[in-house]
Amino acid sequence: MAKFNETQLTEFKRLVARYPEGKQKSALLPVLHLAQDSFGGWLSSDTMDYVAGLLLIAPIEVYEVATFYSMYNLKPVGKYMFEVCQTGPCMLRGSDDIVAYIGTTLGIKPGETTADGLFTLKTVECLGACGYAPMMQLGKQYREHLTKEKVDAIIEECRKNAVANN
Amino acid sequence: MGVKLLLEKAHVQGIRSYEVYRREGGYRGAEKAIKTMSTDDIVEEVKKSGLRGRGGAGFPAGMKWSFVAKPEGVPRHLVCNADESEPGTFKDRYLMENIPHLLIEGLIISSFALGSNATYIYIRGEYAWIVDILEQAIGEARANGFLGKNILGSGFDCEIYVQRGAGAYICGEETALIESLEGKRGNPRIKPPFPAIQGVWMRPTVVNNVETLASVVPIINMGGDEYAKIGVGKSTGTKLISACGNISKPGVYEIDMTISVEEFIYSDEYCGGIANGKRLKACIPGGSSVPVLPANLLLKTAKGETRYMNYESLSDGGFVTGTMMGSGGFIVLDEDQCIVKNTYTFARFYRHESCGQCSPCREGTGWMEKLLLRLEKGQGKISDIDLLWDIQRKIEGNTICPLGDAAAWPVAAAIRHFRDEFEWHVTHPEEAQKRNFGLAHYADPIHVPAV
Amino acid sequence: MSEQPLFKVTIDNITIEVPAGTTVLNAARKIGGDVAPPAMCYYSKLQGSGGKCRTCLVEVSKGSDKDPRPMPKLVASCRTNVMDGMEVKNITSTKVIDTRASIVEFLLINHPLDCPVCDQAGECHLQDLSYEHGKEGTRYEFQRRTFKKQAIGPYIQLHMTRCILCYRCVFVADQLTNKREHGILDRGDHSEIATFIEKSLENDFIGNVIDVCPVGALTDKTFRFKNRVWFLKPLDAHRDCPTCSGKVTLWNRGDEVFRVTARKDEWGEVESLADGKPAWICNSCRFEKKKTSDWVIEGPRIISRQSVISQGHYAGKIGTHTPAETFSAVHGGRQPKLLMDIHAVSEVNQTDIELSLLERPAHSTDFHSEKD
Repeated sequence: MAKFNETQLTEFKRLVARYPEGKQKSALLPVLHLAQDSFGGWLSSDTMDYVAGLLLIAPIEVYEVATFYSMYNLKPVGKYMFEVCQTGPCMLRGSDDIVAYIGTTLGIKPGETTADGLFTLKTVECLGACGYAPMMQLGKQYREHLTKEKVDAIIEECRKNAVANN
Repeated sequence: MGVKLLLEKAHVQGIRSYEVYRREGGYRGAEKAIKTMSTDDIVEEVKKSGLRGRGGAGFPAGMKWSFVAKPEGVPRHLVCNADESEPGTFKDRYLMENIPHLLIEGLIISSFALGSNATYIYIRGEYAWIVDILEQAIGEARANGFLGKNILGSGFDCEIYVQRGAGAYICGEETALIESLEGKRGNPRIKPPFPAIQGVWMRPTVVNNVETLASVVPIINMGGDEYAKIGVGKSTGTKLISACGNISKPGVYEIDMTISVEEFIYSDEYCGGIANGKRLKACIPGGSSVPVLPANLLLKTAKGETRYMNYESLSDGGFVTGTMMGSGGFIVLDEDQCIVKNTYTFARFYRHESCGQCSPCREGTGWMEKLLLRLEKGQGKISDIDLLWDIQRKIEGNTICPLGDAAAWPVAAAIRHFRDEFEWHVTHPEEAQKRNFGLAHYADPIHVPAV
Repeated sequence: MSEQPLFKVTIDNITIEVPAGTTVLNAARKIGGDVAPPAMCYYSKLQGSGGKCRTCLVEVSKGSDKDPRPMPKLVASCRTNVMDGMEVKNITSTKVIDTRASIVEFLLINHPLDCPVCDQAGECHLQDLSYEHGKEGTRYEFQRRTFKKQAIGPYIQLHMTRCILCYRCVFVADQLTNKREHGILDRGDHSEIATFIEKSLENDFIGNVIDVCPVGALTDKTFRFKNRVWFLKPLDAHRDCPTCSGKVTLWNRGDEVFRVTARKDEWGEVESLADGKPAWICNSCRFEKKKTSDWVIEGPRIISRQSVISQGHYAGKIGTHTPAETFSAVHGGRQPKLLMDIHAVSEVNQTDIELSLLERPAHSTDFHSEKD
């Protein structure tokens, strides 16, 4: 089972230290982010049990939280996840076309991952970038004012990065 | 040019850094408050300013502060609500990204006033990169003696921590936010007790929006009375409006609440008119939850008076012919947009974001979404429109938290003002799949009955 | 505990005094009868329960003597404390009745309505609620929600489609067992009771989730499809149990014990023992002691609210037990008109015909008095 390395453990301790004594459960959300980033972009039940152990809480308390919030992936996802906003303000600026275009270009439907494991397409609800629509989240960053050309460029960029990192 | 209190310096080169912010006059407010004012003085100034909560509900901030319980030996906490998730709203993000120290300074003053030694910024999980910006600013403030132990020799200690959410609109509701901050599911609490009595870890807690807390800085700098002179009536000070949709210049604008809606949409200083020379059809001026208005009721009230960008004027006419200032998420729809589809995306949003605790919201939001999708696809019946009306009516006011109302209002207003368009989807199912209903009569002047 | 001052509260025009800190719901239960709002999620023995189902919403027409303003919205009576001089409308408010019917509709749109094959039928609070407060028919025309089946062990059967998310079972696991294994997963309309990784629930007291479940979401696997509750005779019985109080209700047919449950009061809640603690029962009493010889039988059990169970089993007062005359008690002995024979107070529908003696269905003409 995967465990936090030294650096990750230091970060874990920094997160827990923010809360009053005995309230370490409060660190659950940030610690789950840390775990997801550390262990391949998703949370397995082993990972969640590990987090429960670190925070001295019951595993079910972790499952309850991990399944509530939309940012935690409970199944493996592609290396690059395109999370395209589809709520009103983005829809008004053509997000449907962007979702369709990404889908056709990559040959996947929303919720699916490409066979090579590189890309996952996901439709999400409002990300707070309504003035810069249409947009998507890619990792930690937002990609805004999307056009078909921009989408092509982003896919190209991801492919290059994937090659470079291998 | 209107008055700018928050974003005046937002575009100064390097303003994200402490040095530049300080050089531009930053942290004067914090110095003034901590060195020369008592905590009661600060609360008094905020009360005098008439500042209303900028998150959406518009509750007077000073009054909220004065409710906080002060039991002996129990720590109190200030929590900054940066879980900006209301569709159409991206003003707090803009403020935090561009001028983070303004928020940090507001937090320092407010923490001092409320006696919070550990203050938390709860930020929506998707704003991941802003966490770094804020932590950088906190580090700088700390290095310069504005945070940490014995701030400016006052004996007051304070730390600010940034906590990331993980994707849940409901955590913008203050008790859901508190639950989430405690590492739990974002289920709103049943009130009472209110956070001012028992909030995070059952300790007295004040939860305020980013913009509200940032506004404390100009209030302290200029004094509550001066701040209250800006604006009109109970809409004091300035308000950030995030404008989006089919306008020429989407973005975040600071307004002083005396300008008209028409000026805001059409002037080049703000939205720059409707994009691509189209005509205005409708607008949701305060974030997705507030009632949508057709062009004619948006620009003028039912009495035929000019409608202004402030709390009172926007809500003139109540929900029958008015709307709300809400969070300031200003969503504009041009003549090519479909009200049914737009309402459907909001219904889908609220279904997706319902926490599922209470039955009217859990079941009602999903039902509304299904009916709206059916109508949008031209498979609906006229009776579906009446059913939708009845469902929203039964959700509104009957839920644990305001998400139920937020889900009900957009549906209610859409049917109230755009019923023709809904019916057209039923009577012209094939045509509705090929084109949109168009502007119709929604911009026609309203007949004002002579008195 | 220090003595609480008494607050006067008026519910549906009936005034009683209750200690400060009492909820509107519990005050209404003291009055009893129809004045008590239905409660699907609140459970007085489970801390933190309530507020969620919204079936107990009532109208507060006067906040208190000090602040007589009415409350702007309906409030959850289970989570609202009475104030001195408060006036509450439950069945006297059309708004409440209307809203309650909607809540029933909301609770039913995704319910499978599989009562004919559900073990809870006959003692199901959702059935009672629909019957008493719901409307005929449904306006929902979409596919009902389904869930992936999850097994939770040899004792308890989980039917997630029937669940109304009252959270009671989660509170039971939190407050009665030493380690909670199940909880509410996911969110919104796809929230579910689950263990995430399929796990069997075997904690000593976990069987109580069956007793608190208001619907057929959690049922007794050892009783599954064995019999209908209304064919069984409920009997109070006890045994010396090292784990729990051993005070239970047996559900027998002839001498055969079909199932064992805790003893429940008229609100469907587990009864309290003499020491005030709820008489939760252990898994061993519930699931393993299925012989009459395991038990000392005390006598017939009165099930007052679930009329279908009470019908036809016991002669006389048992089983057809009527609630105590709280109405007249709180009225100082005066009989409220509500309980009188309608003909004694009303000129409407006076009839000279004994309708029950007609050999045909009654006609509208039968209701016309000779005087008309």
